[in-house]
Amino acid sequence: MLTFLVRRLASAAVVLLASTFVFFMLVDFATDPLEELRESSQINREAQMEQRTRLLNLDTPPVLRYFLWLKGLAGFLWGQGTLGESWRTNREVTDMLAGAVGVTLRLVVVATLLAIITGVTVGIASALRQYTGFDYSITFASFLLYSLPTFWVAVLLKQWGAIGFNDFLRDPTIGLWGLIGISLVAGLVWSALVGGEVRRRLITFAVATAATAAVLWFVSSTGWFLDPSLGPVLIAVTGLAIAFGVTVLSTGLRNRRALYSAVTVVAIGVALWLPLQYVFPYATTWLILGLLTVTLAVAAVVGWAFGGPDRAQSIRTAALTAVGVALLIFADRVMQVWRIYSDYSDNRPIATIGAATPGLNGDFWVETLDQYTHLILPTTSLLLISFASYTRYSRGSLLEVLNQDYIRTARAKGLTERTVVMRHAFRNALIPLATIIPLDIAAILSGAVITERIFGWTGMGNMFITALNGDDPYPVMGFFIVTGTVAVLANLVADLVYAGLDPRIRVNA
Amino acid sequence: MRIRRIGAAGALVATGALVLSACATPTQSAIEEDTRLTVGWNQPFFSYNESTSNGNATANAVIKYLTVGSFQYYNNEPALVKDESYGTIEKLSDDPLTVKYTIAEDTQWSDEVPVDAADLLLQWVADSGKYNEGEVTYDEETGAIIEHENLYFDAAALGGGLSNVTEVPEIDDDGKSITLVYDAPFVDWEVALAAPTVPAHVVAQQALDIEDAEEAKDALITAIQEGDTETLKPIADVWNSAFDFTDLPDDPSLYLASGPYVISELSADDAYITLTANENYQGDLEPKVETITVRYNEDPMAQVQALQNGELDIINPQATADVITALEGVEGVTVQTGSEGTYEHIDLTFNNGGPFDPATYGGDAEKARMVRQAFLMAIPRQEVIDKIIQPLNPDAEIRNSQTRVPGSPGYDDIVASNGSDVYDEVDIEGAKALLAEAGVTTPIDVTLLYGKSNARRAAEYQLFAESVGDAGFNLIDGGDDNWGSLLGSGTYDAALFGWQSTSLGISESAANFRSDGGNNYSGYANEKVDELYDELETTFEEEDQLRILGEIEAELWADGFGVTIFQFPGVVANRDTVSGVKNGVLSPSVFWNFWEWDPSESAVQESEEG
Repeated sequence: MLTFLVRRLASAAVVLLASTFVFFMLVDFATDPLEELRESSQINREAQMEQRTRLLNLDTPPVLRYFLWLKGLAGFLWGQGTLGESWRTNREVTDMLAGAVGVTLRLVVVATLLAIITGVTVGIASALRQYTGFDYSITFASFLLYSLPTFWVAVLLKQWGAIGFNDFLRDPTIGLWGLIGISLVAGLVWSALVGGEVRRRLITFAVATAATAAVLWFVSSTGWFLDPSLGPVLIAVTGLAIAFGVTVLSTGLRNRRALYSAVTVVAIGVALWLPLQYVFPYATTWLILGLLTVTLAVAAVVGWAFGGPDRAQSIRTAALTAVGVALLIFADRVMQVWRIYSDYSDNRPIATIGAATPGLNGDFWVETLDQYTHLILPTTSLLLISFASYTRYSRGSLLEVLNQDYIRTARAKGLTERTVVMRHAFRNALIPLATIIPLDIAAILSGAVITERIFGWTGMGNMFITALNGDDPYPVMGFFIVTGTVAVLANLVADLVYAGLDPRIRVNA
Repeated sequence: MRIRRIGAAGALVATGALVLSACATPTQSAIEEDTRLTVGWNQPFFSYNESTSNGNATANAVIKYLTVGSFQYYNNEPALVKDESYGTIEKLSDDPLTVKYTIAEDTQWSDEVPVDAADLLLQWVADSGKYNEGEVTYDEETGAIIEHENLYFDAAALGGGLSNVTEVPEIDDDGKSITLVYDAPFVDWEVALAAPTVPAHVVAQQALDIEDAEEAKDALITAIQEGDTETLKPIADVWNSAFDFTDLPDDPSLYLASGPYVISELSADDAYITLTANENYQGDLEPKVETITVRYNEDPMAQVQALQNGELDIINPQATADVITALEGVEGVTVQTGSEGTYEHIDLTFNNGGPFDPATYGGDAEKARMVRQAFLMAIPRQEVIDKIIQPLNPDAEIRNSQTRVPGSPGYDDIVASNGSDVYDEVDIEGAKALLAEAGVTTPIDVTLLYGKSNARRAAEYQLFAESVGDAGFNLIDGGDDNWGSLLGSGTYDAALFGWQSTSLGISESAANFRSDGGNNYSGYANEKVDELYDELETTFEEEDQLRILGEIEAELWADGFGVTIFQFPGVVANRDTVSGVKNGVLSPSVFWNFWEWDPSESAVQESEEG
């Protein structure tokens, strides 16, 4: 194992080193820091060109300049390293990277998490309904999304998701035909998803259509979009739904102790809703994280208290439900500032550029909402594209596992379908995904260039493209060294994760 | 039993909730508001000292225009307008050229320290390079300026007009004015010395570790007057780099304002800068908006959509057909098209042994001139305007002057008399006749250098090739992405590129057309032009200056130096919730009249009615 690790690290370092050389030469070839001066008609142009030539060592051959740069990089080994400076802004590349990596992470973490969760869920649903209308529709949709160009999706999202939605908010009522159309589509999706015989499908269709229509009518007629809230009643109803859903997936409804613990945490959550309103005005990130920890602790206690032969099952169910309820309470409080936030932005709350509204003087909740209104579009745009690949992978992977002998054995010995799918098939189906995720994260770190640029986020991609356009070589190299390292490490992590999860793989080979 | 216990706990919580609800309702969130405008810009601010060679960028200049007052500014004609509430510039004598700069009584920095002679003196000592010793040294690894042993002000203006002022200026009027005496005449004395970009007292306080502002200024003045390089060296180091920042520094003295606004927020990661009205501003350019936020985004289409979505109020993106089309489809937005400071032109090469070089014809200068003229007569300038520029700027016209920006003083007179009318319309027959008269065999190969990836220039090349082809020229595509470094290399016969005008300086064009000019890539040498520029250097009457420029241009056009084509199109768009926004030709472009921007409803209604 150790030899494998050392060997892989060494070869990765060599690859990285060689590619930095190639990249440095390419960057040098592509950029001309003197270009804008050549067009300048200032009297002292010559003097300026000379200054810049000396500043950037432009009279030194690029190969030598590469070694100077490498020397700065090697300096990190004894703590005196430098990645150079941007000559345009006099900013250390290391500083620029620190800021840019932070912004990019903010952007991609949520998008990646959501893509994994939704992608895997939909993929599994699709695999379980193999060769049904639902499966074909998902396959079609995911290939469609997969092939959409980011810049196009992003611009459309801005046009409809931000500008269109904000225009809609001026008079947020859904017309009769819109209401009927959306409800019918929702009914179709649900009936295809639930499946079963014709009668069951029809019932599902009717119930889903009616429910959607009722919800839409409610939000439309009460002006809910202008001043949205959940309130304790909705939190209780939704929380109970979460409790049942989680129990079905986690232990099955037969495990009454698990069900009771889940329902109990919902009750506690609803009871705490009002007192929490007095705590929330003093919220900080740490307070919220603290409350989340308390939530998990309470759930653990509740699950433990219901006891039974397998306490872990109750605790797990209670904890998952508790997180769901906590999220609802959090969302409810964020919604409460929607009204004033919307007023502040002239009733155009959904943003198209940047990571935050400049100079917004609000408390924790206003700033949280502000972040969300800025995150929603770029996240959706990233999500749509990576969601598609996760759907495909998890569907394929689950189908492969379901066809294996041990699954047939599990069914033969009389296990319920839930246990077969959730316990025996699902976990094994996740192994190949575990190797894709690190690579995907590496790709998305460097690959969000277009998304960042269109949505005006000053992350890694933006830093790269700005520096390249500005004939500024060292930030480009800084970008490359970070993304290159992440890519190489992600490959290594993927290999190790695979070996760790699947005992059939040996890394010593 | 267990259930009962849980019930008890639930009851307890419920009771607690009831008790709490009896108290006042929970505190609600609130957002502070004031009058604000948000402007979209492409490149982020990075240095508060735009006088350094590094900080000398439009991105900094536009922000500094709002925060630091000046003796004068360019309006949208463009013409130089004086702001006497900041101070005055006065020429005392022509020979030797003596110019007096006086700061107005009330002008002060935002920490209430007055702007005075010390600030002017610091600006002069930096821009003139008077005490600069040797060459600046740069760190070999990082390329940054290192703390060098020598004293060196790394100013962008080094080598410019102020290098002619070697005598330390006199201070008068209770320390409110300085007088510059030039060693040699310099016609652009009006724009030679910038208003102080950074406060002298802060520079001196930081460099010399002095607490009191007045004391620091006195030390600075003494050091400059006595040429005390020991003291000046730390001053230069602070001046060179202390004002470079991309996030708001902890020390507010690094961004003191003497103009209408002062920086209140700056974030590199969130890509914006916020300026708040300067309480201590005493000048005439009183703004109507409490805060102006400039948000940075390099994607013009993103700016258009953000404008449509109300996140930006004013944008000034690069004018492309897509942007203009998109803007026209947006409701509630006013779009103004106009010109920018850069102009497109073709220069012919005189010294590469090509078709425009007299040497090709055995030194027959007349023959070469006729070939040049024939070529230029076949350049379809109006067609370029009609097909490429007018979709972006309906008012676009051919630029007919090699030295003056359209709309600036003297442009019309010069154009009327400079002989550019010969090239007004494509004259294929005339070109053919000239070639026949010259007795050259056609077709003549001409290589045209231009920026290959620049779609607009590639389109221009297509139009040119067709038209000059009719006249007997074979226009070879010399498009190259490294065109900038190829200028002057003699590998092309004609070059298509742009010159950017940063000021209306009279002598700016000398570098392009003098036989020894730094920007003369064509190998053009005309003794008369050189003489006229010599004369221009000692001419201070505007009327005479323009007459000389007209004579220079007459030579240029008659010699077939090249043709000017168009001013780059610009576009400004603003939401109808703000009035008073106007496009500006020269830097600081749309910001030029920021004090007239008015987001109040009454003003907006008025502008709609009017």
